[in-house]
Amino acid sequence: MKEISRDAYRAIEDIVGPEHVTDDPALLDSYAFQWLAELVRPNLSHYMPRPWAVVMPKSTEEVAAVTKVCNKYGVKVKPISTGWYHWAAPLKDDEPTVQFDMRRMNRILEIDEKNMVAVVETGVICAQLQAEVMKRGLNINIIGAGCSTSIVASASAYFGGGPSSYFLGSNSDNLLGQEWVTPAGDVIRTGSLSSGCGWFCGEGPGPSPRAITRGSLGTRGGLGVFTKCAVKLGPWEGPPVLEPKGKPPAYRLPIPESFRVYTVGTPSFEALANIYYEIYDNAIGYIFHRQFNLAGADLAAALWLTYLDPKGTMNDVETRSKDPEVGKISDEARVSFQIILQGRSTADIELQDRILDEIIRRTGCFKVERFCEQDFAEFTNMYLQRMGHKHCNFIWVGGYMGSWMQPGTPDFVKGYVKTAIDGFERDQKSGLLVECGGDAMMGCGSTLGGGGFFALEQFVSYDPNDDDSVRACIKHMEDAIEDCKKNGIPLGKEYLYLQIGWTDERIWNDLAKMPQQFVLNFQRKIKEALDPNGLGDRNYPWIPEGWGKEKPIVTAEAGKPGKSAAAR
Amino acid sequence: MALEDFRADAMRCTRCTYCRWIPFDLVKSERFAKGCPSIEAGQFHAYTAGGRLVTALSLMDGRSTVTEKVKDSVFKCTLCGQCDVSCKMCRYDMEPLAAMRELRFHLVEKGHTLPQLEPVLESLRTEFNMLQKPADERGDWAKKLKVKDLTKEKAEVVFHAGCRYSFDGDLSHVARLSVRILQEAGVDVGILGEAEHCCGGRAYGMGYKIDLMHSADHNLRTWKAAGVKTVVTPCAECFHTFKRLYAAEAGSAVEVVHMVQFVDRLVKEGKLRFTKAVPMTVTYHDPCHLGRQGEDHVPWDGVEKKIFGQAVAYDPPRPRYSGAFGVYEPPRDVLKAIPGIRLVEMERNREAAWCCGAGGGSREAYPDFSRATANERMEEAAGTGAEAIVSACPWCERNFSDAVEGGAEPMKVLDVISLVGRALGIEQEA
Repeated sequence: MKEISRDAYRAIEDIVGPEHVTDDPALLDSYAFQWLAELVRPNLSHYMPRPWAVVMPKSTEEVAAVTKVCNKYGVKVKPISTGWYHWAAPLKDDEPTVQFDMRRMNRILEIDEKNMVAVVETGVICAQLQAEVMKRGLNINIIGAGCSTSIVASASAYFGGGPSSYFLGSNSDNLLGQEWVTPAGDVIRTGSLSSGCGWFCGEGPGPSPRAITRGSLGTRGGLGVFTKCAVKLGPWEGPPVLEPKGKPPAYRLPIPESFRVYTVGTPSFEALANIYYEIYDNAIGYIFHRQFNLAGADLAAALWLTYLDPKGTMNDVETRSKDPEVGKISDEARVSFQIILQGRSTADIELQDRILDEIIRRTGCFKVERFCEQDFAEFTNMYLQRMGHKHCNFIWVGGYMGSWMQPGTPDFVKGYVKTAIDGFERDQKSGLLVECGGDAMMGCGSTLGGGGFFALEQFVSYDPNDDDSVRACIKHMEDAIEDCKKNGIPLGKEYLYLQIGWTDERIWNDLAKMPQQFVLNFQRKIKEALDPNGLGDRNYPWIPEGWGKEKPIVTAEAGKPGKSAAAR
Repeated sequence: MALEDFRADAMRCTRCTYCRWIPFDLVKSERFAKGCPSIEAGQFHAYTAGGRLVTALSLMDGRSTVTEKVKDSVFKCTLCGQCDVSCKMCRYDMEPLAAMRELRFHLVEKGHTLPQLEPVLESLRTEFNMLQKPADERGDWAKKLKVKDLTKEKAEVVFHAGCRYSFDGDLSHVARLSVRILQEAGVDVGILGEAEHCCGGRAYGMGYKIDLMHSADHNLRTWKAAGVKTVVTPCAECFHTFKRLYAAEAGSAVEVVHMVQFVDRLVKEGKLRFTKAVPMTVTYHDPCHLGRQGEDHVPWDGVEKKIFGQAVAYDPPRPRYSGAFGVYEPPRDVLKAIPGIRLVEMERNREAAWCCGAGGGSREAYPDFSRATANERMEEAAGTGAEAIVSACPWCERNFSDAVEGGAEPMKVLDVISLVGRALGIEQEA
């Protein structure tokens, strides 16, 4: 790795104070160690490249000043908020990178109750903001990754869908302006904020910089640092403070009179698609999600019934999984989803309830009796309202990789379900992945407010402490890509995850085969303009000019915008 | 155990950062969502449970060495166990608190110690207490009491005052009240006076396991000689040490009862009646060692096994210390039973309680950090509108009292047993 002058470190110390920057190897390793790293790193290492330094800024001005120092000394920049995902770390071993840890920028700056807007800094997590806005009769969409995540991250820099997106919209849609420090160290404010008019509108005036920073996936830390954003809030008819009861881990949230919480079973994925359309059409529901199948359809009932018992252990799951009565529940809940209705009045909730009953009747579906009993329904209410149990993703053994999750209409999704299930069942036969049944597919009822954008993610669990299990997961990812290609299905999340370990050239070769090349060329021009020294990384995708027109040639400085030999 | 035994925990950590927060379901405000005092002080991820797992892995694999910053990140932590509760919200295969303790043992074993702790450890080894007081003054708190001396007599119950109640003049009345209550209840109780040694729990938390073993050896031998079957203590730290650590590390089978549990039992059996009203609004602070770390010890000697291909279970099933069954209700029930007391809760309570800041050697090694942690709790307590913060641990009470003296929220700091004494009309006698 190239040597960076100590002057750079001292300059950063001068900006943030010596207690807010470190280059201690062990402390840096706590940032290099990342979820999913072992799937993409040489020798199955759990470490992404170690940052050159970690910096904890307190203000946008400090972020901008440190970024300018990085420009001067040729150090890349990579922000994290709560710090979770392999792509949140530096991506290459030979590129000194300053990792911004944004947790000191942790203020809720404004809650505009009348206009239903909240303005937050990057370190604010969903649970904190939700607790405050609920006191004002409002709510936020908490993304599928759970309430431990940063609002700014999901709204500004990554996919922002969650169980409540069906009603509240996704956070990327709800973005009403952001403050952004570009890789050049410039501070850009988007939307109405750029005119000093406040945070009420994310677009304009003029061409929208929001379109530069967002898109479906966002820049994922690859194009500077987002320091603040505003998000649109939605109505909340529940209590101002959530008062759960019971013991950990399965706290239960009492269900208000104006709410209903159900798990609905369906006889097939065809029926699942049909009932989704009916629910969209009838505009009922507040939270709409397929949650509990993350444990695998064969084991979900055994796991969650054990989870409800504070004394329960994994050994109990094993015992329950052999219980024929639990087996019946598993079968009932095999193709199921959860829905929470929120009424504005007794009449409203009763009407929604009747409509749902009629939809269930018409589509040949049913309520899963055990999961609708009070204890389980209250647990479901807690789980989905707060999304504080998200890391049950890791409950089996600490390793989880989400594959598939191609979004589209319910009819599109049902089209790939069989391939996803068959492939997962096939790969579980090795005994090196958790054998939980082929359908461990979870997903939001819709990530588009009002319905229509649905996806299912296959929850593949493996043991990160067992190299053979890690290899089996990688093989499954590669198999899933092949399954997609063979069946004409767009590639899913496993492809996105694996790319993190690839060379620039391999990625560009794939990008060059994608339709709409103008997008990647346009993004190169944006990068040239906003990141002239190449401080961002390839999480913001672009393609060298002319790449793929002839034999791909490595650019002189990979990672920096440049021309291929063809263009030169 | 050795640090290597926690490799799997480290490798399976997903860096989710739940360990920074209270269980998310319990978050009621932006202000009091955080759960980890350590990262509030140290800022970097290495100051969390997850970060320390990575530090352990990094050291074991030779990726890094022990620097002053590493020592700071390992020791600047109260070992309050909030991270352990939050981690286990979604995990059955992780023991972050045990791993953090083991990392301290490892550093101490390799000579990476904190000089600030040397005087208290020296005091433990020569005077058998953590307060740097002469050993022969240990029984002074009980001089005016008529109570069995178990170095000369036998009794089924020993009252163990602990270092803080023995030597801290502001708090020792709690020990005297406790003995009085036990005697009034007809318990055959005695004390050991000078022969009582520190439980060793604080040294264990500081990373000195061998000192715990020495304390355990002395105390268990002394109790056995005195015919003791039950130890009653008003100190949460001693309670945890006797109940969990002596059982786990020294095979102790002695029954361990905290004084508030004992009083609660007497009240519920109708053997103790409060005759005086104590008109006061109070909030109760759960000591970490009585609350989330106060669960019963369950012996276990087993191995990991795989089920469903790769899921982790244990043979036999491993006990799960999740904070679900800590001692939460007895102190609250006692307070509620006192006429005139109005109990109001802080946002972070029971398994989600914010630490007082005294544990894990923080009070001795990092006084600023310890005080800041106490100040945070006092602010939360004041927000309830209570006149007093009440607890059941002398270390919490001392840290809070010092915080008040240092300018924190001006609240009264009381022990549950003090209020029991008032309600019984015997406080002045103590």
